Amino acid sequence: MAAQAPSLWTTFRRNTIRSFAAMLRQRWFGISMLLLLAAFILGPMLNVLVWAFTDARIQPPRLVPEQWSLKWWGETFTRLDVAGGFMTSVGISLTVTLVAALICLPASYAFARMKFRGRTPFLLSFLMVNAFPRFGIYITIAVVFFRLGLVGTVPGVVLIQLVNTLLFMIWIPTAAFQGVDRSLEEAALDAGASPLRVFVQITLPMVLPALSASLLLTFVGTFYETQGALLIGIPNVKTLPVVIITLINHHIRQLGAVLSVALWVPSLVLLIFAQRVLRGGTLAAGFGL
Amino acid sequence: MAKLTIDTLTKHFGSVVAVDRINIEVEDGEFVCILGPSGCGKSTALRMIAGFEHPTEGDIRIDDSSIVAIPPNKRPTAMVFQKYTLWPHMTVYENIAFGLKLRGTADATVRRTVEEGLELVGLSGYEKRYPSQLSGGQQQRVALARAIVLEPKILLLDEPFSSLDALLRVRLREELKRIQRRLGITTLFVTHDQEEALSLSDRIAVMREGQIEQLADPSTVYARPRSLFVADFIGDMNLFEATTDAEGIRLGSSLLRDSGGVEVDRKVTVAVRPEELVPAATGVPPEETWEIAVEQTMDLGHYLKLLGELTGVGPVKIYLPKSAHANVVKGRVRVTPTRYLIYSNADAPVEVVKRPHVVAR
Repeated sequence: MAAQAPSLWTTFRRNTIRSFAAMLRQRWFGISMLLLLAAFILGPMLNVLVWAFTDARIQPPRLVPEQWSLKWWGETFTRLDVAGGFMTSVGISLTVTLVAALICLPASYAFARMKFRGRTPFLLSFLMVNAFPRFGIYITIAVVFFRLGLVGTVPGVVLIQLVNTLLFMIWIPTAAFQGVDRSLEEAALDAGASPLRVFVQITLPMVLPALSASLLLTFVGTFYETQGALLIGIPNVKTLPVVIITLINHHIRQLGAVLSVALWVPSLVLLIFAQRVLRGGTLAAGFGL
Repeated sequence: MAKLTIDTLTKHFGSVVAVDRINIEVEDGEFVCILGPSGCGKSTALRMIAGFEHPTEGDIRIDDSSIVAIPPNKRPTAMVFQKYTLWPHMTVYENIAFGLKLRGTADATVRRTVEEGLELVGLSGYEKRYPSQLSGGQQQRVALARAIVLEPKILLLDEPFSSLDALLRVRLREELKRIQRRLGITTLFVTHDQEEALSLSDRIAVMREGQIEQLADPSTVYARPRSLFVADFIGDMNLFEATTDAEGIRLGSSLLRDSGGVEVDRKVTVAVRPEELVPAATGVPPEETWEIAVEQTMDLGHYLKLLGELTGVGPVKIYLPKSAHANVVKGRVRVTPTRYLIYSNADAPVEVVKRPHVVAR
């Protein structure tokens, strides 16, 4: 295996310090733009953070509350709809990831290894889903699902969320499988391995980093997906993001804020995991970059 | 140990004929090279023997039993590929042990065999390395060990050294020859490098456009190439367009007395090796010697290479021993061939070997 590359953060920190002084001198315009952008992105996040740790309303022109409080955290996590939403989300995300893997991995292997009529158009068609406004597609699907009685059911939500996963679960593994040199497989075949064993012992280990990347992206993406889940799941199936929307709509601002902050945790954990496992540009390699 | 028979082997890819009815017998313990330019079908032929391609026609036999119907993983052949094909997620040990373990070989035996294999290729102690920690030459040695430890009946090599630098290529070539001799393993080696083929093989099959042009031992292929293609492809060769008449063969203003029985008034090609053009002795009639205008002299250490022009005929290459340099006077040298081949333009090239009556020494 390749030697350990310096982590993204180390590189970032080193480069930042080195170039900071020079930047200040030469690029004051760029720096002000950067700060503006940071405020634009971080501002709302900070606002959410502040709201999550307060009890009362914040009176303008104050930016921070008079009193900090953890009251809403206990309040939030003892709510039945939140706990239920969390379980629903985990269950649906796992199901979607699993089903997507079952459908897409063999398909991507076929895309990578076989030459068949319409291969390229078919491959591009997975991109099409992302080329159009999602909501339009969802509405159309919802109409069909309504007739089929899938609206408000778990299978319905799983199906609509599968649409989102296609891109990651087809394109990344396809590129990864293509990256495995044919002659590596032939060498194993030549050494006496059956085609199945070649796949399990040679091909699979070599694409595993890219596969885990796509599985991870699928899981996280599904966990946070809102539009499809909202449109198809309501009123019976409520994933966590849908629950948050409902809570915000009921004007309990702190509930939404607490949940937003809490939901950073799983994605943060996964990202740290991803950074650890998928070092060395695997993700980029997965995209064929 | 085994004999390999390739019998009218043919491979079509759509309308393209990659391999066209080739026949080769590789005797037990023999080292045969398939030599040819890229795209001549040599690799396809090898891949059919390994089982990665299915022949359109013809048969492949090992010890007189056909292997065409056997899948590649069950064939008693082992291949070393052109690309580096060590599995990157396995150590050197795991790479070499892979095939042995598949056969259910006992652990102790696997360990011993892998050690022996590594020793054979001069890489003892490299067991725990990963392929990415090895140089290209080391990787190909491990690949060779990986093939050899399986004790294949036939060892197949597909341009295994072509991605290595020249010096390493020569060293590995010598090593391969030593190992092959020691194990007495029947070997088929594919290459586009004529020097490699000449130095390694017991016999060479020269391929062109899917067909075998000549199958013979290296010295025969070098001395008596069966066709103009082989003459041009193997070694350095001077080729001159000429015509025959009643006196002999006319090359511009020069004459070769002996036309080897080729009819008069025929267009022919005369082929002379650069080392078979020697300075002419004083007694030879001037019209029977060739005056060469030397344009470049290269000192290649143990001999001189002269590039020049045979007046009215074309460029010419001459290898001279350094002691013969005195014969070059004012950029001109008179030479005469000690041996030449005449290829008549007929469908099947007539091949004649001649020695002129007077030779300078």
